[in-house]
Amino acid sequence: MTAEATHITRKRPPIALISIGIIAVGILLFALNLRYGSVAIPWKEFWNALFGGDTSTYRSIIVEYRLPQAITALLAGIGLSVSGLLMQTLFRNPLADPSLLGISSGSSLGVAFVVLLAGSFGGISVSTISLWSTFGVTIAAFLGAFAVLLLILALSSRLKSMVSLVLVGIMIAYIAGSVTDILKFFSQKEGLHSFVIWGLGSFSNVSMAQMPFFAIAVAIGTIASFLLFKTLNLLLLGERYAENLGVNIKRSSMLIILVSGFLTALITAFCGPIAFLGLAVPHIARFLFRSSDHKLLIPATAFLGMDLALFCNLIARLPSFEGNLPINSVTALIGAPIVLWVIFHRQRYTKTL
Amino acid sequence: MLDSYGIFERFLGEADTTKMQEVLHTNHLLIGYKGQPLIPEVNVSLSEGDIVALAGPNGSGKTTLFKTLSASLKPISGEVTLFGKKLQDYSPTERSSLFSLVLTEKPDDLFLKVFDIVSSGRYPHLGLLARLSEQDEQIIYESLETVGISHLIDRNFISLSDGEQQKVMIAKALVQDTPLIFMDEPAAFLDYPSKIELVNIMHKLSREKRKTILFSSHDLDLLLRHCDRLWVMAPHQPLRQGTPKELVEQGIIDEYFKPIVAKEEFYWMR
Repeated sequence: MTAEATHITRKRPPIALISIGIIAVGILLFALNLRYGSVAIPWKEFWNALFGGDTSTYRSIIVEYRLPQAITALLAGIGLSVSGLLMQTLFRNPLADPSLLGISSGSSLGVAFVVLLAGSFGGISVSTISLWSTFGVTIAAFLGAFAVLLLILALSSRLKSMVSLVLVGIMIAYIAGSVTDILKFFSQKEGLHSFVIWGLGSFSNVSMAQMPFFAIAVAIGTIASFLLFKTLNLLLLGERYAENLGVNIKRSSMLIILVSGFLTALITAFCGPIAFLGLAVPHIARFLFRSSDHKLLIPATAFLGMDLALFCNLIARLPSFEGNLPINSVTALIGAPIVLWVIFHRQRYTKTL
Repeated sequence: MLDSYGIFERFLGEADTTKMQEVLHTNHLLIGYKGQPLIPEVNVSLSEGDIVALAGPNGSGKTTLFKTLSASLKPISGEVTLFGKKLQDYSPTERSSLFSLVLTEKPDDLFLKVFDIVSSGRYPHLGLLARLSEQDEQIIYESLETVGISHLIDRNFISLSDGEQQKVMIAKALVQDTPLIFMDEPAAFLDYPSKIELVNIMHKLSREKRKTILFSSHDLDLLLRHCDRLWVMAPHQPLRQGTPKELVEQGIIDEYFKPIVAKEEFYWMR
């Protein structure tokens, strides 16, 4: 019986093949991100700028502008997608995303305080604070998001069900949103303008000097997520099964919220609120690999998030505008159809299989 | 009346009573919610290799007792002793290697494979990266074989029938490799042939692998005829335990299930 049992034939989707494909697409998109933009760079110059000792304007466009933007897009895509996957599994809700618990609303509020209040009460126009504003805004957004995260964590220990936790998150988001609106109401035109611009999201706010910090922080969040894969897999079975298999539900959910919230806070601080990546990418990963195993899903989601963010960044640049299209509108434009497709496909899938 | 339950119709092998080791006992246990006990003090015990059925009508407190014994719910007072130590003194990890659960709630994730679910039963035995050793895989395959679902290994869980899903959850419990298995209403959604299969599986686990099984059921059906011992419950009544034969002879089955039988009146009979 034992000998027979070992010969159970397993059929698995071609994981290695799909993975190689995803990574290859990622590399290609990264190259395209460097190659294409508002300024057309001939192939030869492009090559020289990258590998030769060329110091022309082409090189500065690629190295100082396009490269940090591509790296930021890549990192933001990884972080937001993984963060979204964590939320979807924790709340066992396919439409959960990184902003679910009001964390991005918290960062909006933080930015509103700095950008709008500095303009109104300090009497300083935004242009004068623009020197330190990018970094100041980043700090403010991170503090706002982290304040909401701590509040959620504090409240989560008093709440029994996940549903009430989501409701609390949504209420916090409303409160933060309305305070933001009140600030907007009292602010001046310039402040309002730059606040709206921040809200559209951008991958070009991270300088090469800040990049190592940003990259390491995203890496820490992603690795921490990966190390939670056993807990996440067990949570899929339902809370009582998870508990029986040694999961401390309360502590684990706080840990998942902390890691996911950290990634969201971090990326929102540097790039502004970016919609739909965190919602759509985990679904693509699940459907591509036909799996719910987080040991596979977390890396898959990370790489697919990288691909989709780089793709969105490329699309945002496509019309050869002076600047870029707002990244948030592009991610929504591409993300929303994917979510729609998932909803319809899910229906069909549950029925037929 | 008594024979209609088929209580005497037991064809289990004789349990080896000489080396019966105590697995669990309760001491003045009061169960319920918000300090309101549902039934009088519960004093019961489970021995190694026992198949014990927990029977009673809806609302008699079966699920509450289940949750209390499996540490999901704190008792109002009294204590549960598992392998000579108080239940609450075990860490969640320690508990995961002592008893496993088969519940009525089922995973509903779209892409959860049978293999994923069954292998997650192995997690308490695995390290940080959950790498399955040759031996772990062997245990998984053997468990699938024991419940007869090896051919379903790569199927999506939600695409299976109720009976198959039940077997997957039992295989998960086997992989967990615990001496004690709790099954909450394992026969609830099963058709008759699947119920017989379930009885056979439980019998195999108890007699071949020396597992102790406590399962609940809300009616006196097939399963109750095939248990070693019976715990009967009714709302606000003390829990009574004994072999099915004893309980029938003492008239306890009649007393506890009379309300159910009495209600078997249909309007066209009046």
